[in-house]
Amino acid sequence: MLLLSGTMPIEDKSLIAGTIKYDGESISLGDRHIPKELGSIGAMAMMAASATAAQSLGIESPVGVIAGDMGQGAGSAQLYSYLTEQAGGLGANAVTMHYILPIRKPFLEFVEMLDYWKKRPFMIADAGSMLIAKATGSCKKFDLFTPDAGEICFLADPEAGHPAYVKSMLFEIDTTEVPQLIERAYASGNAPRYLLIKGPTDFLVDDRRIVNTISEPNIPALEPIGGTGDTITGMVSALISGGYEPMRACLIAARANRLAGQLTNPTPATPVFEMIKHVGEAVRKVADAT
Amino acid sequence: MSTSHRRTDEYGLSRSLFLFELFRDAMRAEHVLKRAGFDTKAGAPPPEVRTGCDIAMAVPSNQVNAAEKVLRADGIPILDVVFASEGDLPPLQVSKLVKKVDFGDYLMIRVGNMKLTFHKKTGVVVNISGGGCPDIPLLALKMVGQPLDKVVSPNELGFTLCAYTLQKAYEASLQAWRKMR
Repeated sequence: MLLLSGTMPIEDKSLIAGTIKYDGESISLGDRHIPKELGSIGAMAMMAASATAAQSLGIESPVGVIAGDMGQGAGSAQLYSYLTEQAGGLGANAVTMHYILPIRKPFLEFVEMLDYWKKRPFMIADAGSMLIAKATGSCKKFDLFTPDAGEICFLADPEAGHPAYVKSMLFEIDTTEVPQLIERAYASGNAPRYLLIKGPTDFLVDDRRIVNTISEPNIPALEPIGGTGDTITGMVSALISGGYEPMRACLIAARANRLAGQLTNPTPATPVFEMIKHVGEAVRKVADAT
Repeated sequence: MSTSHRRTDEYGLSRSLFLFELFRDAMRAEHVLKRAGFDTKAGAPPPEVRTGCDIAMAVPSNQVNAAEKVLRADGIPILDVVFASEGDLPPLQVSKLVKKVDFGDYLMIRVGNMKLTFHKKTGVVVNISGGGCPDIPLLALKMVGQPLDKVVSPNELGFTLCAYTLQKAYEASLQAWRKMR
């Protein structure tokens, strides 16, 4: 079973947890329906894409845990507590951490607690979880990161605690010199074993070795659309929890995201929920062909 | 926490760094300290206390007690104070991390890990992408669909360094749009 965690911008102070259901229009966790305007925001885009990919491939539906957080951290603190104190009993074989406020102490408590789980899950991080993993020197506690071009610059800069501190010369070379950035990230211990780097060309990396690159179909309009990276993270998480070998899971997710984008025929103004509608079809077609 | 006066300069620790739990408090501290005439610098906290989405405010060590009084008088909560040498404070680089991508009817401004895209003719924000902190989805919810000159700015609602970076993308977008008009 896959456990997906993240925050949502609502005032609600209670955690929402349950099996994720997505019907092509709306999303729910357990018996809690998520308002439509929030259904593709932040962690919800990842969860919707993951649930639809799992359903399409006959994989067990993921479980989601969401905390309301407007940026002040109380919901994130609750989420860290849940992961540390309760998630170990769920029997998840993969855990994905997503939008969350980086808070040092509870994050470290959680990653240390992972050593006491009955079976260590496959650990995936994106968004704020990737920032705090690097800031605390915990990248090796994870198995897969899914950074974009800006975030691989950040992982490549050993001094930067946030993408806003990245040395400008690294930022300048970003998309054209990704292999160099990959090398730097591994050299400084700031990468887990696997990387799926999202961009005009997607790079699939296993222990600093570039195993695959995907550039087609090239759909430039996807880059500005908020959530198109989250959909990849959701898909790859579902695939890994379903037993797909990590590099094959990354390959299918990266290709399926491009296909879903192509089926959407997007402009830079397209909302991501239009693309999520095509994720199930895309991941099925790509998985069959890969 | 103790900030009693120390002869830190004789150990090469010429700067005192104020640390804050919330990024927004750090931004307020910068404003208050500069207004009070302190030689203030902003930058990354030391690695051993860094969370990633944070920023420290540095003042000369011989002014730390006076600066703390000013911050407390303004009600700004201080998490801790640490001492550092002049070169220990990596600066924010966001002003150097700006890129523009032209999509015909739309312009995308990328600053660091944040991307803001707007319609060139109307100035309407059509998409926000990137970032990892919880206030970014909130800002996307509030900003998308609104014109740049009327939209709530990230500074007004944001709490984090990701929101600060988005603010810079917003400012660059507004400037670019005004030039187009």
